[in-house]
Amino acid sequence: MEQKLLIVDDEAHIRMLLEQTLEDLEDEGVEFFSAQNGEEALEIIQAENPQLVFLDVMMPKMNGMEVCRRVKKELKLDKVFIVLLTAKGQELDRQKGQEVGADLYMTKPFDPEMILNKAKEVLGL
Amino acid sequence: MAKATLKNIFSKKNNTAELVKDMVAHLDANIRIEDENGKVLFSFGEAVYGYEFPVVLEDEIIGTVKDNKNEGGFIVEFLVVLLQKEQERKKLGSEVLNLYQEINLIFNFSDKLAQTIDATAIAEIALEEAIHVIESDYGVVALWDEENRVMKVEASRGDLFFDQQKINEELTLLRKIVLSGQSEIISDISLLKETGIILPEVQSVIFSALRVKHRIMGAIILASNQVDKYTAGSLKLLTTLALQSSSAIESSLLYERNIREAREREEAMRRIFEATEKFVPHQFLKSLGHEVITEVKLGDQVEKIVTVLFTDIRNYTSLSEQMTPEETFAFICLFNERMGPIIRENHGFINQYLGDSIMAIFPVNASDALQAAVAMQGEVGELNKVLEENNKAAIQIGIGMHTGPLIMGITGDFDRMDACTISDTVNTASRVESLTKHYKASILLSEASLNQIENKADFHLRNLGLVQLKGKHHSINVHECFSCDGQEQLNNKLNTLSIFNEGVTHYLGNAFEKANEAFKKVTEIDPDDRTARFFYNFSQQILDSGAHENKVGIVEMNEK
Repeated sequence: MEQKLLIVDDEAHIRMLLEQTLEDLEDEGVEFFSAQNGEEALEIIQAENPQLVFLDVMMPKMNGMEVCRRVKKELKLDKVFIVLLTAKGQELDRQKGQEVGADLYMTKPFDPEMILNKAKEVLGL
Repeated sequence: MAKATLKNIFSKKNNTAELVKDMVAHLDANIRIEDENGKVLFSFGEAVYGYEFPVVLEDEIIGTVKDNKNEGGFIVEFLVVLLQKEQERKKLGSEVLNLYQEINLIFNFSDKLAQTIDATAIAEIALEEAIHVIESDYGVVALWDEENRVMKVEASRGDLFFDQQKINEELTLLRKIVLSGQSEIISDISLLKETGIILPEVQSVIFSALRVKHRIMGAIILASNQVDKYTAGSLKLLTTLALQSSSAIESSLLYERNIREAREREEAMRRIFEATEKFVPHQFLKSLGHEVITEVKLGDQVEKIVTVLFTDIRNYTSLSEQMTPEETFAFICLFNERMGPIIRENHGFINQYLGDSIMAIFPVNASDALQAAVAMQGEVGELNKVLEENNKAAIQIGIGMHTGPLIMGITGDFDRMDACTISDTVNTASRVESLTKHYKASILLSEASLNQIENKADFHLRNLGLVQLKGKHHSINVHECFSCDGQEQLNNKLNTLSIFNEGVTHYLGNAFEKANEAFKKVTEIDPDDRTARFFYNFSQQILDSGAHENKVGIVEMNEK
């Protein structure tokens, strides 16, 4: 099965950084998608069914928590591995993340090495 | 940095394939594009080709374009343009990522520093981080101790690349580097090697000053066995780390200094308390429910049953007439110096020094006071030996005590306070002390004091009957303690004790003739018993006056 990865962040430079961080995966045949708000993210998740989503929490038009909740709780797409990303200093309750079904919770600025390793692990590469 | 590949540009999110398809359609040719491994990335038309064009990017063949019309050159040119663009994008992306990694690193570094307050720990963290991001074989964080003017290695990694001893020698090149306050890459380290302070394997050195404003605190120094190891980027990173560490170290040093100063202040306070305790006894404060003098406030008071003891140097007036004021003062000091410890040893404290007299308070019981009195008389005997050796007149002291209620408190006004005692007990004790002169006794105690003494058998006591003190309506019973008398006198007093007691009983019963006889007997056996002589003379006077029918056996005191 073709492997797909979605990056969701309203800030273009964060999207670019994540893409750049995960560049090696592209060479391994992983297809990249990106979205700049929650609604767009939800559409892509439903259309492409990616295995891994890096999801920013603070976003206009439906925040990451809500996207996660809909994907996991309403659409029941529990095979999607969702990594919630939030700015350091504005950490949300970890429990809240767990409640909406997030698989992992990471803070920005993120450690690129850690992100890449996590992605490889989830995608089995 | 990863190089752009044909696969990259044919990946789905670029519309390269569509563009190439359009192009090929115009050419009306059979086309196949392969990567360097011969994997087909794009093909159009029949698989019949006659021409091959290599795709070269930065002098490297990264793929092939095959066609049947010798038109592939255009396509190669087009692909190369796309590849160059992709290459640029990648380069930019990787630079941004590098910057981001640096930010992340500094962010984490600040985080770690914020959790540390110890200078050595900060130096450790800084060095660990520096060696992690700027790959190095050795590292040292050296701090300059301005106070002691020495260099201190706070943290180090790898075998120290410096000769430790030489670091401490005056004005070595290293010290010059550290104290320069600069941040540099040393490209020509032969200079350092010549001075012999650096290991011969070391090829590259980079350092950055630790400084706050213009004050140089030290430096982070890294070294590598590789030639030209460090770049401008390394220097920028190291400088950033050094800058952050400097503020953290500065804060930590300030913190340490604050702690040290706080301790010093505490110590000073302790010394002040120690000093004040010498003026206001701790027991006095404790009685008021305080631990330190700063807690004392105007109006603090406590009422207690205590034993008040007075001492007085008998022949002080004539003694002081023979001495200069300085000599008198020195003598009083000598006397008090010997008496103070005895009072404290017996759980008492000195309330006041009044010229040649001491007023002490024994809060626990009268037995303590009496024991102290005996010991004080003994000490006077020792003092007299010293005085006699120096051809000086011996002294005698009288000690009197009384037990009763006493108010201890703080009086005065807001700006001038003093510990004081207000009590009739004090007056009575002072009067009892005065009686020692009349009765020629060494130690006198009131009945109230005697009643508080449980171990009466430990002392040699005799009843001296009732006395009406000057200015008092009620008479009190006084007792003499002669435990402190010399052995011979003590024995004599013990031998005559029953006759003496008889005399006192008769005296109290107004049988002055019988009393007179008894005291006469005592003085005949022991001519040195001056108290018995006092009673003999006193009863004789009453008998001589012929007024003994109306007299009661109370000694009236008309003087203080």
